[in-house]
Amino acid sequence: MSEKDLALMAHLMRRAGFGATREEVEERAAKGYEATVEELLHPESQPPALEDEDLLRRYHVDGGNLMAIQSCQTYWIYRMINTRRPLEEKLALFYHSIFATGYTKLNHPKAILNQIEMFRRLGLGSFHRILVEISRDPAMIFWLDNKDNHKGAVNENYGRELLELFSMGVGNYTEDDVRQASHAFTGWTIADATLHQARTDRDSIWPYGRLDWHFQYRGDDHDDDEKEFLGNRGTFNGEDIIDIICEHPATGRFVGRHLYNFFVADEPQVPAWNTTPPRDPEAVETLARAFNESGFDMRTVMRTLLNSDFFKEAAFAKIKSPTEFVVGTAKLAGGYSFPQLDDLRLADETSNMGQILLDPPSVEGWHTGVEWVNTGSLVSRMNFAAGEFADYNRPGVQSMIRRIRESGAYASPESLVDECLGLLGHVRVSEQTRGDLVAHAEAAGVLCFEAPEDAQASSEAISQLLQVIAATTEYQLA
Amino acid sequence: MITKTAAKLQYSHTVGFMSLQGGRGFANPVDLAFDSDGIMYVPSRGGTDAFDDYVSKRVTKCTVDEEYLGEFSYGGTEDGQIMWPSSIALDSDGRAYVSDEALNRISVWDKDGEYLGKWGKRGSGEGEFDRPSGIMFDSDGVLLVSDSLNHRVQRYTAEGEFVSQWGSAGDGDGEFNMPWGLASDADGNVYVADWRNDRIQKFSASGEFLRAWGGSDAEDGAFNRPSGLAVDSDGVMYVADWGNERVQVLTQEGERLASLRGESGLSKWAHEYFTTNLDELAEREKANMEPEPEYPPGDRLRQESAMVEKLFWAPTTVKVDAAGRVFVVDTARARVQVFEWVGG
Repeated sequence: MSEKDLALMAHLMRRAGFGATREEVEERAAKGYEATVEELLHPESQPPALEDEDLLRRYHVDGGNLMAIQSCQTYWIYRMINTRRPLEEKLALFYHSIFATGYTKLNHPKAILNQIEMFRRLGLGSFHRILVEISRDPAMIFWLDNKDNHKGAVNENYGRELLELFSMGVGNYTEDDVRQASHAFTGWTIADATLHQARTDRDSIWPYGRLDWHFQYRGDDHDDDEKEFLGNRGTFNGEDIIDIICEHPATGRFVGRHLYNFFVADEPQVPAWNTTPPRDPEAVETLARAFNESGFDMRTVMRTLLNSDFFKEAAFAKIKSPTEFVVGTAKLAGGYSFPQLDDLRLADETSNMGQILLDPPSVEGWHTGVEWVNTGSLVSRMNFAAGEFADYNRPGVQSMIRRIRESGAYASPESLVDECLGLLGHVRVSEQTRGDLVAHAEAAGVLCFEAPEDAQASSEAISQLLQVIAATTEYQLA
Repeated sequence: MITKTAAKLQYSHTVGFMSLQGGRGFANPVDLAFDSDGIMYVPSRGGTDAFDDYVSKRVTKCTVDEEYLGEFSYGGTEDGQIMWPSSIALDSDGRAYVSDEALNRISVWDKDGEYLGKWGKRGSGEGEFDRPSGIMFDSDGVLLVSDSLNHRVQRYTAEGEFVSQWGSAGDGDGEFNMPWGLASDADGNVYVADWRNDRIQKFSASGEFLRAWGGSDAEDGAFNRPSGLAVDSDGVMYVADWGNERVQVLTQEGERLASLRGESGLSKWAHEYFTTNLDELAEREKANMEPEPEYPPGDRLRQESAMVEKLFWAPTTVKVDAAGRVFVVDTARARVQVFEWVGG
C-alpha cells in the first residue's frame, strides 16, 4: 500500500474517530478505504464498544454512581480511547457539540451521560428520531426549561433553540413559529420535576446520591389547540413539529453545515451562519441532498461525507478540539487500555485546554476552529503532549521506537523525522518546520541500538523528537 | 433457632448517608468490618480521585445504630493515606488492615486510628501485589489477601511476612480471574469471589479446592461479577452479585433461600438531614420514589438502581454480625442495608 493510502486512512481515522496508531492505519488501509468507511458506519457489526466496562466500574468505583462530573468525563474519555466503534463515539461528541447540554445548570452529570448514550444508540439513524428523542431527553428538558413549559404559561426556551440551534438556523422561521412550536411541546416534561428542581437547586446528593430522571408526557398540561407552524395548520404536538422541521429545506442545509464544520473543515461560529456563506456551499448542498433524499438518514449522510472528494482533500483543514487532541495523543502514546489511578487527569487536560466535556459554555456549544487556541491553551497542549511522549516506556512510544529501529529510519536525521511524522498520523508539515525538525534530530547525534546504553540514549532522542513534533503548529491540526 | 429454609430475610434499617466531606456518612463504601464490640469500620473509596476530593476517602467508625465515632486516614499516597481502599480486616487486638489497589500495599492502624505501618509493592513475587483487594483474617490469625491481577490468594502473618499462596490465572478449579472478596465459614474454609469467572470457589483453610458455585447469567445461583460474600454459622452464603445488583442467599447445596434487591428507607443520618431541609423532604413525600418508566435499551438492572433509591446499586459485599444480622454494603448509594431473619 502506498504512503498516500496510509495518509488518507490516517486522515479518515482522525476525523471519523480519534486517530489511530500506525499499526491500525496499516490494518485498515489493507482492508481498503470504502470497506473501512462501511465498517465505521456499522458499529453494530463490531464488538462491543467497551468490553471491559465492568473493569472500569470495579477500579474507578466512582464510575458506579457517576455522581461527579469528573467521574463521568473519565468514563467518556476512557471510552473514546478504547472503543472499537470509533465513529459511534465521534458522532456522540458531534451531537454533544450541537445539542449542548451543560452540567453547571443541571448538577447531574450522569443525566448528560445518559443523553450521550442515546446519541451512541441513534447517531447513525434517522435525524427525525434524534430530534424526537432529544425533545424527550430529561437532561435537555431540564437544560432548556421545558419542564416549565405549561399549557397556559408557555416557556419558549426549548422551542426557540430547537429551531435556531438544533435544526434550521436563524432566518428560516419567525417569532410566531417559535411560539407555536413551544405550545406544541407543552406537557413534555420529566416526572417529579419539582423534586428534581429542588435537589438541583441545592446540588443535593443526599441522602443517598443522585436519582436518574425520566421523561413524562402530561396530556393534561399539553396545549392541544390548533397551531400554525411554518405555513402548516393543525392541532400539532411535538412530533408533528419535528415532521415539519425535517421536511423544511433549511434543515438539511443546517445539519449539513454542522457536519461539514465538525468532520471536514472549520466554519465560522454558528451565529454567523445566516450572514456568512459556507466555505464550500456545494459540499453543504451535497450533504443536504443526501439528508433529504434518504429520509433524514444520518448513516447515508455520513457515507456521502466520508466518501466525498471534499472530505478526502480536507486533511489538516481543521484545528483539533481539545478532546481530539488529548484522546488522539493518548491513543498514540498508549498505556490507557486498563483502568488506572490517573485516568482522571485526561479529563482535566481537556478542561485546561478549553473544553470541559459535559459542561459546554452555553447552549451554542463550544466555539471551534481558531477559537480553540490561545496562549494558555496552546501551552497546555504542548505540555500535555510532551508529557505523553516523554515516557519512552509507554507502549505506544515503545512501538514507535521499535518500528524506527526495525525500519532503519534512524540512519539519517531526514528519514528519522519523516518516519516520526508518519507514525504520528502522517502529519503534514511545512518545509520550514521539517527543516527545524531535521536540525533538532541532527543535534541529537547518530542513533544506535547496539549496546543497551546506546539504545536507551537513542530511545530518549526519539522520544524528544516526538515531543518536538507534538509542539508544532501542524500537530494541532486534524 | 431459626430454620432458614422456612424463614424470611426482612429489611431492618439502613446505616449511612452520602458524605464527601468526611464526618457522618460514607462515599462509595467498599467494605465493612466489626470489632469485638460490634463497632463498624467502613472504608470509603471516595467521590473521585481528584485532589480536592481526597477527604472523601477515609475509614469511618460508627455503631450499628449510627452513632458516629470518628474516622482515620484520608486520600493520598503518603504513609498512612489511602487512594483505592478495597477491603478492611481487624485482628484480634483491634488493629485495622486496609488493602489499597492503587498503592499496592496493606496499611495498618491501631484501634485509635494511629498509623502503624505498611507492606507491599507492585509486582508478582512474594510480598508483592498487583491490586490487592479482598482481605480477611482466618481463625489462626493469618491474613489472606486476594491479589486480583496476579489471580491468586496470598497468606501473611499479621506483621506482613509472607506465608504461602495459591491460585493462578484461569477458569479451572482453583484458578482465578481477578478474585475480589474473601470469606470464611465456621469450619475455617475459605470462600473466594472469583469475580470475572462469575463464581464462588470454596477452599480448605490451606487452599485445597473443594467446590464452586456459579455461572454467567442472571438466573438463580448464577452470578454476574460476584464481588464479595459472607457465610454464616449455618453455612448459608450471602453473595453480593454486583453486576446483577442483588444479593443472593444460597445454601451449601446451591439452593436459593432468598434474592434481595434492596429495601432501603431513610437512615437516622438521613432523617437528621431532612430536619433542616424540610422543603426537600416535602417534595420527596409528594414524589413517586419507585417509578416504573419505560427504560431505554441497556443494562436494565443498573438503570433501575440509578432511578429507584431503595434498591441496591453496585452492592460490593455482605457481612454477618455476631447476632446473625446481614449487612449489605451498598456502594453506589453510600450506605449499608441491614436485614435480619424472621420466622422459621
